Amino acid sequence: MPDVVFDLISKTYNPGLFKKKVQAVKGLSFEIRQGEVFGLIGPNGAGKSTTIRMILGLIRPDSGRILFRGKPLRETTIQREVGYLPENPYLYDHLTLLELLQFCGKTSGIEPEQIKRRNQELMEKLNLSEAQKRPLRTFSKGMLQRAGICFALLHDPSIVVLDEPMSGLDPIGRRMVFDLILELKEQGKTIFFCSHILNDVERLCDRIALINKGQLIKQFVRDDFLQDGDKTVFLHTSILDEIQQQKIQSLGGCIRLEGEGHLLAISDDDYHSVNSYLGKSNVKILGCRSEWMSLEDLFIKTVKEQDQ
Amino acid sequence: MRSIIALATITFKEGIRNRSLFGIALLALFLFGLNVTVAGFFMRDVGKVTVDMNLSALSFAGLLLIFFVGVNLMAKDIDRKTIHLVLSKPISRSQYIWGKYFGIQLFVSASLLILFICSCLTVGLLLNLYPNYFIGFSWMTFILACFFVLVKFSVLTAIVVFFSSITSNSLITLIFSLSSYVAGEAIEEVVFYLKSEFAAQEKMISESLQNFIDIVSYLIPNFAVFNFTLEAAHGLAIPSQRVFLSLGYGAIYIVMLLILASFIFSRREFN
Repeated sequence: MPDVVFDLISKTYNPGLFKKKVQAVKGLSFEIRQGEVFGLIGPNGAGKSTTIRMILGLIRPDSGRILFRGKPLRETTIQREVGYLPENPYLYDHLTLLELLQFCGKTSGIEPEQIKRRNQELMEKLNLSEAQKRPLRTFSKGMLQRAGICFALLHDPSIVVLDEPMSGLDPIGRRMVFDLILELKEQGKTIFFCSHILNDVERLCDRIALINKGQLIKQFVRDDFLQDGDKTVFLHTSILDEIQQQKIQSLGGCIRLEGEGHLLAISDDDYHSVNSYLGKSNVKILGCRSEWMSLEDLFIKTVKEQDQ
Repeated sequence: MRSIIALATITFKEGIRNRSLFGIALLALFLFGLNVTVAGFFMRDVGKVTVDMNLSALSFAGLLLIFFVGVNLMAKDIDRKTIHLVLSKPISRSQYIWGKYFGIQLFVSASLLILFICSCLTVGLLLNLYPNYFIGFSWMTFILACFFVLVKFSVLTAIVVFFSSITSNSLITLIFSLSSYVAGEAIEEVVFYLKSEFAAQEKMISESLQNFIDIVSYLIPNFAVFNFTLEAAHGLAIPSQRVFLSLGYGAIYIVMLLILASFIFSRREFN
């Protein structure tokens, strides 16, 4: 049974008198399966945060239904199962991290001993132990983000909802969060996250949904990007003329336009014949890639197609 | 209950560590000091002026505490979307309202308690300096008047929580709460005037306006029922019936307002 099911969800915001209504989400349907990492991507204003807030019950959909483990959201206590990190979390300025986490533990019904243990565990993992008694207003943006992650994970939730978890983090912080997400995945947690850092989404997610203007455009699985990457070589070349393209295709290579050149996908069986042809034809090799189409390429292509 | 206590605790801590608290405390201490300094100018009225000034200083400090710090303790949660984090935990919307109310109330009470101790020291000092001019002064009445300043602010805190629950901007909450306070302080006098012979002679007030004010007078809190300054200044005895009626009025008003706030808040959406 999927953990969360979105079934034809629509939501329109009313910004106020004399202002046009905004349709944030339109007939959105998808499901998040147990134990998977599910990514939601889309341009700004696509409806990602609205979708997340609907899961948490902060916003109610106008139509459609959201099921949590087979039951309508209203009949469940999803808050006990979910750990949520909002985008740019605003925490209480005058509290210390320790106090914030104690609050989280108490409201989640955890025993004091367990709160203490989880506090230490998470603070060590996210490198915040030294700052635990400092007021949160003295934290940097990255530290606040990590503090927000501690807040989301303290009660050991089975579903983790992360809205832009890498936002504001330095490379070390990003790595830390990346490893943490992988660790959570290994523990069998369901992870649902939104991010604009598509490289991370691509590397972390089992499935990805692309939404634009409140509608689901496409769902990808990890294999869509890899395209049998283990047995294929991807070469970035200068622009090929018509004849060169036909010849390479006849030798078994695939071609697509990529920036100011072409990208060739050649299986290892055909590599020698294609490579010797490229050498003979003086085609300039600009570099090689590890994938046929990155998520970023897919994202931009799909959004442009929809906008047209 | 555990969630309400946890929320009240962090709200209290967030309020009590706010730096503007020092400014408000300093201002109140200045007023108490001013009282000691100028008391000698009033001769026979030293006792009345002292009690009046102390209660006014407490009231003024309480107002500043609520409007500068208290408003932000809930309205900023919604303004800055901290509420998304809080409500992602197993806290119901009504638990949030009650937790916030108790937290702000605890903060206001603790701050006023400190100022009340300073106020007692001031009164005690002047009582020793000018014992002949404190005829009829009763510590009991003075303490009771101070306690009702706190009751008044308990009602005002409920008003702040109510407006925070229906608006998403701390400035709007501040404006609405301030307006309610001003109207609540004046409403009793307005109603008395309208029912007096003077108003009847002038015939300036239409019946519809009179009806409107009648309805408003039931909706707006009547803060005059918590004002025992006159009794404290003149050392008059306060009938226990009035004490209980005022307390009951305050408690019922707070509970009704918070129930209404919880009802509205649980239907609210947080974008």
